[in-house]
Parts: sequence; C-alpha cells; structure tokens
Amino acid sequence: MTDQADQSRRNFLYVAAGGLGAVAAGATIVPFIGSMLPAADTLAASKTEFDVSTVEAGQLVTIQWQGKPVFVVHRTPELLKQVDGHDDKLKDANSEAIAEVQQAWMDTPETRKYRAIKPEYLIVVASCTHLGCIPLFKPSAGRKDWGDSVPEDWAGGWHCPCHGSYYDLSARVINGSPAPHNLHVMPYEYKTDTQVVIG
Amino acid sequence: MLDKIMKTQLFAWIDKRTGAEAIIKSQLTEYPAPKNLNYMWNFGSLALLVLVLQILTGIFLVMYYKPSAEATFGGFTVAFDSVERIMRDVNFGWLIRYMHAVGASMFFVVVYMHIGRGMYYGSFKAPRELLWIIGVVILLIMQGAAFFGYLLPWGQMSFWGATVITNLFGAIPVLGEYIGQVLVGGFAVGDPTLNRFFSLHYLFPLLLAAIVGGHVHALHVVHSNNPDGIDLHKPEEMIPFHPYYTIKDAFGVAFFLLFYCYIVFFNPQMGGYFIEVDNYVPANNLQTPAHIAPVWYLTPWYTILRSFESKLLGVAAMGASLGILFVLPFLCRSAVRSARFRPVYQIMVIMFFIDVIVLGYCGHSAPTATLKVVGQIATAYYFLFFLALPILPKFEKTKPVPEGI
Repeated sequence: MTDQADQSRRNFLYVAAGGLGAVAAGATIVPFIGSMLPAADTLAASKTEFDVSTVEAGQLVTIQWQGKPVFVVHRTPELLKQVDGHDDKLKDANSEAIAEVQQAWMDTPETRKYRAIKPEYLIVVASCTHLGCIPLFKPSAGRKDWGDSVPEDWAGGWHCPCHGSYYDLSARVINGSPAPHNLHVMPYEYKTDTQVVIG
Repeated sequence: MLDKIMKTQLFAWIDKRTGAEAIIKSQLTEYPAPKNLNYMWNFGSLALLVLVLQILTGIFLVMYYKPSAEATFGGFTVAFDSVERIMRDVNFGWLIRYMHAVGASMFFVVVYMHIGRGMYYGSFKAPRELLWIIGVVILLIMQGAAFFGYLLPWGQMSFWGATVITNLFGAIPVLGEYIGQVLVGGFAVGDPTLNRFFSLHYLFPLLLAAIVGGHVHALHVVHSNNPDGIDLHKPEEMIPFHPYYTIKDAFGVAFFLLFYCYIVFFNPQMGGYFIEVDNYVPANNLQTPAHIAPVWYLTPWYTILRSFESKLLGVAAMGASLGILFVLPFLCRSAVRSARFRPVYQIMVIMFFIDVIVLGYCGHSAPTATLKVVGQIATAYYFLFFLALPILPKFEKTKPVPEGI
C-alpha cells in the first residue's frame, strides 16, 4: 500500500495541517493578551482641570492625571534664573531626544529651556523616567538645605530617592543620572489666564 | 510500617489498578541514595515543605482577602483593609498571614541554601544539567510569585516596588511600553494591576507545583550527587531512600520548624526584613517613600540593576545575572565536581556566596557613593565568577578524587 502512496503529497498535507493548527493556536493568544491591555474606560481620554493661581510662589503641588502624578511648580524669577548656565551638564538640554519630552509649542530656545507655556508655571509628569518613582523637590541651590544628597554644584531641581537621578528646575535630567530622559511634558493648554486643562 | 501496609489486601487491590507497589519500590524503598549525604542535602525536602505550607496558608488567606484598590470610608483601600481585618478580626488570621509572609522569606532561605549546595558540590554538572536548569526555572517562578504577592497588601512598598519593577520593562526597546501596559493594565500601577497580580499570584504556585514534579522526576532519573561529587556504582555505597533519608529529612523538618515557628510567633516582621515597615502605610500614588528597597531575597539583583548608570544596561545586567545561571553547567568545564577536590574553585565559590550577601546588603541600604562602588565591585565579581569557570581547569590543579565512599 505504502508503495502506491505519494509521500511528498502526504508530507505536504501533514505540514499544511500542522502549520494551520499552529497558526490557529497562536491566534487564540490575541484576545488573551489583548484583554490585559488597558480597558476602554481606563483609556477614555480623561482630562484634569487645575487652577495654577492656587500654587504659591516657589511652591510645588502634585496633582493626578490619568492615575499618574503631575508636578505643578510656581517658579519665581530667582528659580527661573537657576535654570541657566549648566546646559553642558544636561543629557538633553533642548528636550529633543524623544517625543514625550517635547510639545509643539516648544518652538523657541526660551520655551525649550523653560519647558512651559508660561515660564513661571512648570507642569510635567512627576514620574522619574528611570523607574517611575516621584522625585523629591529640592529647589534651593547648593548643599545648604539638602546635605550631601545632592552634588556640590547643585543648581536646584529634583532628586529621585530610588536610584539617585537628578533633574534641574526645568525637569531636565542631569548627566550621571540613571534616568535616560527629561521628565515628560504632557499636552496641556490654558483655558483662561490661570485655568489649565491637562490632557 | 510501610511494608506492613503493602502486604494488606486493600493495597493489593490498589496495586493491581495503579501499579503502586512498583512506584513505591522504585521511588522510595529501593531508590538508591548515596550513603554519605550530609545535612546540606536536607534543603530540597524543606523547600517542598515550605511550598506546601505557602499553598495551604494562601488558600485560607484568599477566603478573606479582597483584591481591590477602591477607597473605603476609613480613607484606606479595600485590599489594605482586608489584610488588616485578617490580622485583627479573622480567627487565627494573624497566624495564617504571618505563616504566609514568613514562609515566603523562609522559602528563599531554604532554596538559596539548596542552590548554594548544588554550586559547592558541583551538582549542576553532567549528567544533572537539566535538573539544574529546571531548578533555575523554579527560582524565577518563585521570584515572580513573591513579587506578585508583595503587591497584594497594597501598602507603600507594595505600590512603589511594583511601580519600579514594571517600569524596568520600559527599558526594552520598541516593545517595552506595551509590555509595561500589559503588566499594569493602565498607565500607572492601579486597581487593574492589583487584580491581575492576584490572579498571577494564584497561578504561579500551581506552576511551581507542576515544575517541582519535573525537578523531582529529573532527579530520580540521574540520582543524587554526593559531597565527594563522584559517580557511585557499588551497591554498598548506596542506601535506600526510605527509611534512611525519609527519617533524616523528617529530622531536618523538625529543626526547620523550630526556627520557622520562632519567627512566626516571636518576630514575624524580622526587624523589617521579612515585612517592611513602610508596607503598613497604605499605598499613596502621590508620594514615594524616602527609601525604596525590595524584600531581602531580591536585593542582590536590585544592586546589580543599580550598579549601571544606563537604564537599559542595568536591566540587561540584572536579566543576565539570572540568565547566566541557566548556562552554568556548560560554563564549568572541570572534570571534577565537588569543591572538596578543587582548591581554586572552592575559594571562588565561597567568595561568590559572600559576594551575593554583599550585593544583598548594598541593595537593602539607601544608595550612597561608597555603597555604589562596593555594589559595582560585587557586581563585577558576580559575573567574573561565571566567566572564569571555562578557563579555570587550565590552571587549577585538582586534588585526587577518591575511588569510592
């Protein structure tokens, strides 16, 4: 009997049937993995409104947007000056490395430096780009208030307690930090002079 | 006792339908074990005991635990409150939870001793490579199960530990972001994360139970190594597993339970090592604790992660430090198994054990400049140890190996 069978045809049928079965089995993974992606209500574009005038000069407020923490800092003219003069120590002074650290309105050297629509109000995602901890706000320059938790030439900014990343007062990451990028800037706009819509 | 049972009519009835007698003989009463096994060979059976304890206590905890991050009137969350309810209101809830939490740490104590034994006496070498590799799979699943379980109380360390570890996957090029979202079920750790971690925390021990079955099966094919690391052929070098090693294992169990019960009853948090103090603070997604550290059994790998300035390199090194265990049997080229007859390897492997403890200490402490350097040196030694193994036989003069025992 076997002599009469066309073995190459048979092999083709084995491979075709087995292959189709494998593809079908593989395809059933799609709904299972898909079910683990964020659900529709989680994805639903949630927006957060916030009145920046409630933030006192020099103060930092942490608010929530899509379950993520967001920093709103009221930078005084002194704090804004502390952003200058250390571009050489930054990994990405102009926030150009990835899409998440920039926005369309960052079109001048000024806005790229201050990373805010209104320089006095910095609004950034508060998750360290290393592993997601919330960095500690250490605004004053030097070691006077912070001891040796900050470098000697500290210009003021954030220090992540988890793995020691440093950011300056425009939330730009400083060389030597494990964090790869500046803190992310999410889309936001001013609805009125002080009312911000985040998202 | 067992031989009396095996002579009963009931046993004969069962044997005819299951082949029980042949299994018991080949796996227990006539299963040959080397007669010179020392107490380091007790940790395998202890690991099995702890696995059973963990599954048992876990099943009872689930009768009261609620995996929900929804806020309660008290200002906490459903999950956090349900754990506190187990501690305060559920009959014996405190005992069962402490058994489970202490059991997690003791599981790693026992398994790390078991792994150390295998490394010292060369138990991973041919023909036991696959036995070792299955063991490494068990270690990884254990670490996963422990990580998922640690989120469930929904305390500060639960929350931020999960945030840090799920963010690790973001370092993977291209797919990283999606893997992170699949793990977390959103854009940050939250209620969906708690639910899926609970599901996986229930799944992983069941996987463990199955793979432990494979581990024991593989062992019973190639048989136990021994402190001299030599192949045994003569019948007078062997003794049957039952009753000789069942009774020795039982003695080990009694000794282990002494320690375990002391910790459960008198020092269940072990000074913040077994249950971290910060985890009694309810999870707050707007505030990171001043100092985040994983539980002690994950700290060596955490130090390796922290030793690199680049996120991708750190994640890759941490993965490699676990992955390299898989290829250990193929890296080690010496014809001699046991460190007893390998003077250089003996020093290297003892230094390796100390090195892992140093890594663990660094990972548990707050990052300082000094500790960072210490951690980097320890990380370097961790990898050097493995990478030196292939060339070691070229200059190591091994001692003569005994003919038999």
